[in-house]
Amino acid sequence: MTNDPRLTQPPVVAVVQFPQPKPQPRPQPMAVQPAQHPTHRRIPNAREVVSVKGLCKRYSRKAPWAVTDVSFTCREGEIVGILGHNGAGKSTTLKCLEGMLPFEKGEIKIAGYDIRKQAEKAKSKMGFVTDNHATFVKMTGLQYLNFIADVYEVPTKVRLQRLKELDSVFQLGKPIENLISSYSHGMRQKICMMGSLIHHPKLWILDEPMTGLDPRTMHAVQEFMHAYAAEGNTILFSSHALNTVAKLCDRVVLIRKGKQVDELDMSGIYAQNPNFDFEEYFLRNEEQED
Amino acid sequence: MKNRKIEAAERRRKRRERKKGGINFRTVGALLRKGKEERRSMFKAGQFDLLGFLLRVLLAGAIVALFVIFFGRFVDVYVAIKTGGKTNLVARSNELFTILYSAVFLGMVVGGVGQLGRELFTADDMKIYSAMPINARTLFVARLISIYRGQLVIALVAFTTVNATFAWRVGTTVTFWLLSIGSCFLIPLITIGIAAVIVPLFQVIKRFLKERYFLMFIVVTVLLGVGIWLYSIILSGVKQLLLGDSLKYFFSEKVMRTIGNVCSFLYPARFLANIMTGQSPLESWLGLIGVAVVGITLSMIIIRSILTRSLQARNQGSSAAVFHNSVVRGQTSKFSALLKKEFLHIFRTPSYMFSYFSVALIMPLMVYFCMDVGSSLVVNLVGLDCQLELAIFLTVLFGALTNIFCATNISRDGEMFYVVKAMPISFRTVFLSKIFLCLIVTVISQLASAVTLFAAGMVGPADAAFICAVGLLFGFANIAVATRYDFNHAKFSTEDDGEIKESSGTVSIIIVVGLVFSFVVGGLVFVLKLLSQLRSFEIGYLTYVLAGGISLLAAVLSTVYLFFRLKRKYYEFSGGGI
Repeated sequence: MTNDPRLTQPPVVAVVQFPQPKPQPRPQPMAVQPAQHPTHRRIPNAREVVSVKGLCKRYSRKAPWAVTDVSFTCREGEIVGILGHNGAGKSTTLKCLEGMLPFEKGEIKIAGYDIRKQAEKAKSKMGFVTDNHATFVKMTGLQYLNFIADVYEVPTKVRLQRLKELDSVFQLGKPIENLISSYSHGMRQKICMMGSLIHHPKLWILDEPMTGLDPRTMHAVQEFMHAYAAEGNTILFSSHALNTVAKLCDRVVLIRKGKQVDELDMSGIYAQNPNFDFEEYFLRNEEQED
Repeated sequence: MKNRKIEAAERRRKRRERKKGGINFRTVGALLRKGKEERRSMFKAGQFDLLGFLLRVLLAGAIVALFVIFFGRFVDVYVAIKTGGKTNLVARSNELFTILYSAVFLGMVVGGVGQLGRELFTADDMKIYSAMPINARTLFVARLISIYRGQLVIALVAFTTVNATFAWRVGTTVTFWLLSIGSCFLIPLITIGIAAVIVPLFQVIKRFLKERYFLMFIVVTVLLGVGIWLYSIILSGVKQLLLGDSLKYFFSEKVMRTIGNVCSFLYPARFLANIMTGQSPLESWLGLIGVAVVGITLSMIIIRSILTRSLQARNQGSSAAVFHNSVVRGQTSKFSALLKKEFLHIFRTPSYMFSYFSVALIMPLMVYFCMDVGSSLVVNLVGLDCQLELAIFLTVLFGALTNIFCATNISRDGEMFYVVKAMPISFRTVFLSKIFLCLIVTVISQLASAVTLFAAGMVGPADAAFICAVGLLFGFANIAVATRYDFNHAKFSTEDDGEIKESSGTVSIIIVVGLVFSFVVGGLVFVLKLLSQLRSFEIGYLTYVLAGGISLLAAVLSTVYLFFRLKRKYYEFSGGGI
C-alpha cells in the first residue's frame, strides 16, 4: 500500500502553480472559455464510483514497473481524464481497472466492489471501450450489441429502446446489420461505444475515445458525455487530446513514466483563472520533468 | 553541381531498373532482410517453442518412416512385375517415378497456391507495401524468393525420400544422387510457376465464397469427403500390399499398359522421371527448363497485371455482407450468448470451419473406410475377429484428430479474450461455453460414427452404443486437456482479423497426446483380446471394462486438470503474447 499523503486529503485538488494571466493574452486555440466548462455538473454528496489506491503493475518480474503508486478517485457525475505521453501507463491503469490485467500492489474499487474479490459485481457496473476497439469481427453490429446486452442481462424491451437512443447519437445506421469485419476504423469505434453503453453503466471507461472519429461524431460524443455525466454517471477516459480533456473533464490525472505526477481539479482551476491555458501548463510541466 | 550528379545517378539507376523489367533488386533485398529479421525474432528466448518444434519434427519423421517402409515394400513388388513375360526395371522405375513425382508436384502446386495467396493477397504487410513506391514485379520477386526457399525444403525432403527409398531397394549410382539433389533446385520454379497461374482463379473462387458461409461449408465438406474416399482407395491398395501377393495379380498386362499410357501424359513429372532413369536426358532437361521458364514468365505477367488492383480492392474492404435480421432478439443467458459467439466465430472463419466442423462431419466416413480396410486386414493377418477393439481404436484415434482444433480454444479469441475477461462473466461460464460447443460437435460426430458402424453391419447395437460412449468420454477428455493447455500457453494472433494462420507447439503436443492415448487404449484392448484368444481364456467383458474404465478415468482426470487453480489463473491471466 502506498503512503501517498494525497490519499488522506479527501477533496483532491492539485497543488499547482497556476500561470499568471498575461497582460495581453494572445489567441490560444487551446484556451477554454469558462462558460464552456461544465462546472455546474458537480453533484452534492456524490458517492465514490472509482477508487484506486497505490496501484502498481508490471508485466513480468524482470520488467520495470509500468505503473507505480497511482491513486485517484472518481465520483458520481464526474468526468475524469487520464493524461500522459505515449507509454506513460494510461492504458495499463485503465486495463487494471477493467479487470483485464492483474496488478501486483494496490486496491481498485468500482462502485464499492473490489475488482479482485468481487470481480463480476464490479464489472457489471462499468462499460468500457478499449484503445484498439477490439470486437468480434465475425459478428454483425447488431449481433455484437445483442451479445453484449445478453452478457449484461439487459431485458429485450430496454435494449431496443437503448439501441434507438444510441443510434441517434452515433448514427451507425444500416451498416449495423453488416459484418463488423467490413467496418471502417471509425465505425468499429462507434459499435464499441454503443456496446459499452447498451447496459447504461454507472461507470463508462474509454481508452483514447476520440481517435478516428469524424468531427460530427466527435462533437456528438462529447455532448453525449456531458449529458451522460449529468445523469449522475461517471466517465473515466484517457486521451492525448489536450483540448478534449480541458473541455470535458472535471478532473485530470497526469501520469508520467508510470507515476502519477499531478491531479488537477479543472473546474476549480477555471473558476479561479478563466484564462488558464491547459496546453501551456501541460507542456511546461513536461519540460520541467525532463 | 552535387545535386545534378545525384539526379543523374538516380536516372541511371531507374534506366537500369527498366532494363531489368522494372524489378528493383535493392528493394527486393530490403524485403528479404525484413522477412529474415521476422523469422529470426521467432527464435528469440521466450518466443521459441522448442518442445513444439521437436514434436513437429518427430511427427514429420514418423510420417517419413512409415512412407519409407510401405513404399520400399511396394518398390519390391512393382519392379518384379513382368510384362511380356519378363521384368523391365527401367520402364517400371520410370512409371513409378512419374506417378510419385506427379503426386509430389501436385502437392507442391496446391501448397504453392496457398502460399502465394497468403503472401501476395492476404498478408498484412502487403497493405503497407501497396502504399509504398514498390512495383508489383519487385514485390512478386521478393515473395517468390521466400516461397522458393520453402518449396525447396519440401522438394528436398519429398524427392530425396522417394529417391532414397528407391535406391535402398534397387540400388543406384552416384549420378542418380547428384541428379536427385540437383533437380530439387529446379522443381520449385515449375511448381511456383504453375501455382501462380492458378492463384488468380483460386482467389476469385475464394472471394465468391468468402461470405457465403453455408455454401462454403457444403463445398468444403464435400471436397473433404471426396478426398477421404480417394484416401480409402489408397488404403485398400496398402491392404493388398500387406496381404502379400494379391497386389501382383492386380497389375495385369492390361493394367500395366494403362499405367504406361497414363504416365506418358504426366508432364512435367515425366521429364524428371526420364532424367532420373537416364531416358533421353537432354530432351528431358530442355523440357523441364522450358516448363520452368514458361511458368515463371506467365506468372510474372499475370501477377503483375492483377496484384496492384487486387491489393487496392482489399484495402477498400469487402463488399459488406448484409444480414437481414434487424429485429433485436430476445434476451438469452450469458452462457447461450457465449455459445453463439463461439459458433459464429468458427463458422464464419473458413479455415476454422474446415478444420473443425467439416472434419467432424467427415469423421464417421474416415472411421468407416479405415474399419472396412482394417477389419479384413486384421482377420487375414492375425486370424481373429477384433471388430469391437478395432472400432474403439479408430473411433478414439479419429476423435482425437478431430479435436486437435480445441488446442486453439483460447488462442483463437485473440485480444477479445481480454475483452470477455473484463465483462461480468465468471471464468466457469467462459470455459464451459467453449467446451460445450466442442462437445456438441463431438456428440454429433461420435453418434454419426456409431450409427454408420452399426448400419454397415460392422458392430451390433450394444457395441455401437458402447463405442459412442467411449468416444464421447475420450472426446471430452481431449477437449478439456486441449483447452486448459492452450490457456496455459496461449499465443494470440497478431493478424488484423485475429485469425490463427500458423500451427503452434500446443497443437503439436495435443496431436501427440491424442495419438499416444488412442494407440495405448486401442493397442491395449487389442493385445489383451489377442492374448485372451490365443491362450484360450475368454474374459467376456475385458474390452468393455478396460475401454470404459480408462475413458471414464480420462474424463475425470481431465476435468480435474481443467479446473485446477483455474479461477486464480484466469484472473491473473496476462498472456497471449500481445
